Amino acid sequence: MAKTVQEKLDEKKEKEYYKKHKKMYRTTPADTVFNVLNYLFFTIFTLSCIFPFYYLFINTVSDNELVRKGMVNFYPKGFNIDNYLALREVGDLGTAFLVSLSRTIIGTLLMVLASAFVGYLVTKQEMWHRSFWYRFLVITMYFNAGLIPTYLNMDLLGLTGNYLVYILPGIVAPYNIILVKTYIESIPAELEESAFIDGASYMVVFRKLILPLSKPILATVAIFGAVGHWNSFQDSLLYMQGNETMFTLQHRLYNYLNTASNLGTLMNQGGTQAMDALEQALNSKVIKYTISMVTIIPIFCVYPFMQRYFEKGIMLGAVKG
Amino acid sequence: MVQRVITVYVIIMAFFPIANPAKICGLVSSKISLFTAAISYSTLTESCNRPFRMGWVDESTFIVLYIGSIIAILGIVITAAGACMSAGNLRFQKLGLKCSIIGAIAEIIGYVLCYVAYIMVQDSARLNKVNPEMPLGVFSFGVIALVLLILSVYINAGLPKANKDMPYEMESKYKLFLMFLPFAILAFMFCYLPLYGWRYAFFDYQSGGTLSMNNFVGFKWFTYLFQNVATRADLLNVMKNTLGISGLNVLTQWLPMVFAVFLCEVGSMRFCRFVQAFTTIPNFISWVLVYAVALSIFATDGFVNTFAQQMGLLAEDAKATNYLGGNSHIWIKMWGWGTWKGVGWSAIIYIAGISGIDQSLYEAATVDGAGRFQKMWHITVPGLLPTFFVLLLMAIAGILSNGLDQYLVFENAENRSSIRVLDLYVYRLGIGSGSIPLSTVVGMFKSVISVILLFGANAISKALRGESIV
Repeated sequence: MAKTVQEKLDEKKEKEYYKKHKKMYRTTPADTVFNVLNYLFFTIFTLSCIFPFYYLFINTVSDNELVRKGMVNFYPKGFNIDNYLALREVGDLGTAFLVSLSRTIIGTLLMVLASAFVGYLVTKQEMWHRSFWYRFLVITMYFNAGLIPTYLNMDLLGLTGNYLVYILPGIVAPYNIILVKTYIESIPAELEESAFIDGASYMVVFRKLILPLSKPILATVAIFGAVGHWNSFQDSLLYMQGNETMFTLQHRLYNYLNTASNLGTLMNQGGTQAMDALEQALNSKVIKYTISMVTIIPIFCVYPFMQRYFEKGIMLGAVKG
Repeated sequence: MVQRVITVYVIIMAFFPIANPAKICGLVSSKISLFTAAISYSTLTESCNRPFRMGWVDESTFIVLYIGSIIAILGIVITAAGACMSAGNLRFQKLGLKCSIIGAIAEIIGYVLCYVAYIMVQDSARLNKVNPEMPLGVFSFGVIALVLLILSVYINAGLPKANKDMPYEMESKYKLFLMFLPFAILAFMFCYLPLYGWRYAFFDYQSGGTLSMNNFVGFKWFTYLFQNVATRADLLNVMKNTLGISGLNVLTQWLPMVFAVFLCEVGSMRFCRFVQAFTTIPNFISWVLVYAVALSIFATDGFVNTFAQQMGLLAEDAKATNYLGGNSHIWIKMWGWGTWKGVGWSAIIYIAGISGIDQSLYEAATVDGAGRFQKMWHITVPGLLPTFFVLLLMAIAGILSNGLDQYLVFENAENRSSIRVLDLYVYRLGIGSGSIPLSTVVGMFKSVISVILLFGANAISKALRGESIV
C-alpha cells in the first residue's frame, strides 16, 4: 500500500529529529559507555523476544532423533517438514483450527461492522436520548459481573456448548465504538450534510460515505479484534466444557501442553512407570512444538500489516470521550 | 406507550424459565424458558426419551407443545415489530397496532396449544412418572396478551383512518434509536444481564438445581466465607498472592517509560525500529503460547537444560531442572513473564509521547550546557509523567484483576499455593469444585471493590490534575 503524504512527512520529520538529536551531543567517554550498554541491553532483550520462537521453529523442522537428544539448539539439523505433515494424524486439530479460523473471520467482521455502525449512530445528536444510550454502552467497560455469574448467564441464554458464544458477546465492543466515534467526529460534517441535502438516508450515508472514510480506524479495530479472537482461550475453556468439537485451537494446545507438564511432574517423582511415560512425552515433544508453531504462524503472518496500525490505535485510545 | 411497555415486558419474560407456559409436566426441565422451548425441540424433550419409548406420553403431546411455543414466540416477535412501528407517523402507527393485534392473537393461540398439551398429558397412564403441572405461565402470559389485544383494538378505534397516500415516515430521532436498539439489546444481554446472576449468592444452589424460596439462605455465604476456617485461610492466601503479584506490577510501572526513554537515546533510527518491531511480538500471542514457549526453553528437556548439558555446565549424571515446576520465586517469575510480554508494547505510548515533546526545550537546554542525562531527567521524563500517572492509576485500579489465563496455564501441583490469584481462585471454586454461590460471593466482592478503586483513582486524578481518566 502506498504511503500517504502525511505519513511521508511524519517520517521525514522524525528522521530530522533524530539527526538533530545526535548532533546535540558531545561525545564523552561516559557517553560511549552508555551507548554500548544501551545497545547491548536492547540487543539482548530483542533476542530474548525472538529466540524462543526461532528455537521452536528449528526444532520442528529438524531430524526428530536429534531433537530428542537435545542437539538442535541454534540452527536446524536434518531439515524436513515431516512433523507438519504428521499433524494430519493428530485428531481434532483440524476441527479446532477451523473453529478458531471461522470465529476469527466471522467474529471480527461482525464486530467491525457493528462498531462502525454504532460509532456512527452515537455521533448523531438527534438520536432519541443519545447521551443516555451512549453511556449505557460505555459504562459496561468499567464493571464486570464476575466469572461465575457470566457463565450462568450464558447457560441461561442457552449458549453454553454453542458456537454462537464465540461470536455474539464480542459484537458490541464499547472501546472500539469509542475509537470509531472519535474518528468519525473528525470527518468534516459538511460532507454528510451535503449528502443529506441530496436526499440520502442514514443507511446510504453510512454505507457510501462513513464506511469508506473511516477505513484506517476500522483496520486498526479489525486487527486487534482478530488477534483477540485468535488468541481467546477462556471462553472455550468455560463455555465448551461439554462440547469438545467446539474447542478452539488455543484450548487444544493448552490440553496438549498440560499432559506434557503432568508427565514432567511424574518424572520428578521417579519410578519406572513414570519413565515409560517420559519416553512417550519426549516422542510427542516435537508434535507439541509443531502444534505451537501452527498456532503462532497466523499471528506472524499478519504481524507486518499490524505494525502499520497499532501505533495509531494506541494513540487514539488515549483520547477518550 | 402502554403497548410498548407490555411488549417489552413480555419479551423479557419469554427468556426466563419462571412462569414458562410450556412447563406442563415434570418432564419439561424447569431451567428452560419459553424461548428455548420454541427454538430447540431437542432441549424441550431432553428427558423424554424413556417416556416416549415406554408410551407414558404420546410424542404428539410434545409436538403440540412445541408448535404452541413457536406460535407464541412468533406472536411476541410480531408484537415487538408493532411496538417499534408505533414510533412512526399515523400510517406506521396503524400498521403497528395491526401487528400488535395479530401478534397478541397468535400468542393466545400458542398459549392455548400449550394448555391443550397439558390436558393431553393428564391422560397419561403413568401420572406419577410424568408428573403434570398446571402451567401457570399460560394464564399470566395469556392475561397480558389479552390486555395487549384489547388495548390495541381500543387505541386503533380511537385513531383516525390513515390516508392510503400517506407515506410511511418516522421522525429521525426514533429511526436512529431503532437502528441502535439491536446493539443495546446485545449489550444488555451480555453485560447487564450477568448482574442478575448475583442472586445465586443468596441461595443454597447446586449445579443443575433450581432456585426457590426453599433454598434461600440470605447472607449465609457472605458470613461463611469469613467464618469458615478453610475458606478464610484460602482467601487470605489468595489475597496475599493477588496483591503481591499486582504490587510488583504497580511498583515497576515505570519500566516501559525507562525502556522508551533509553530506546530513543539509541542513535540509529533503524535499530530503534527493529527493536520496536520485535519487542512487541510477545504482546500479540496468547498466554497459552507464552506457556508453550516457556516449556520449550525452561522445561527439563528445554533449551536451557540441553544447552547447559552440552556446554558441560551440567554434570553428566545431574538431573535436569524443571524451572517451571517448583514453588520458588513464583511471584517474580510471573512478574517476569508479564513484563517480557508487555514491556515493548507499553513502551509504544511513551515513544509516541517523546516525539511529541517540544524540540525547542532540548535546544534551549543544550545552549544552557545540559548534558545528556540532565536532558533526559529534566525534559523527557517530566514530559512523560502525565501519561505515566494515568497508567499508574489504572494499574492501581486494576489491582484485583490479574486475569485468569496467565496463572491458569502456569499453575501446577507444586506452585499452587503461591500462584493462586483471585481470578484463578474464583474459577477453581466455581467451575472446578462447583461451589457456585461461594464463588459468586467472592466475585461480587471483587467487582464492587474494583469499581470503587477505579472511581477512587479517577477522583484522585481529578483532584491532582483536573482531568478524569475514565
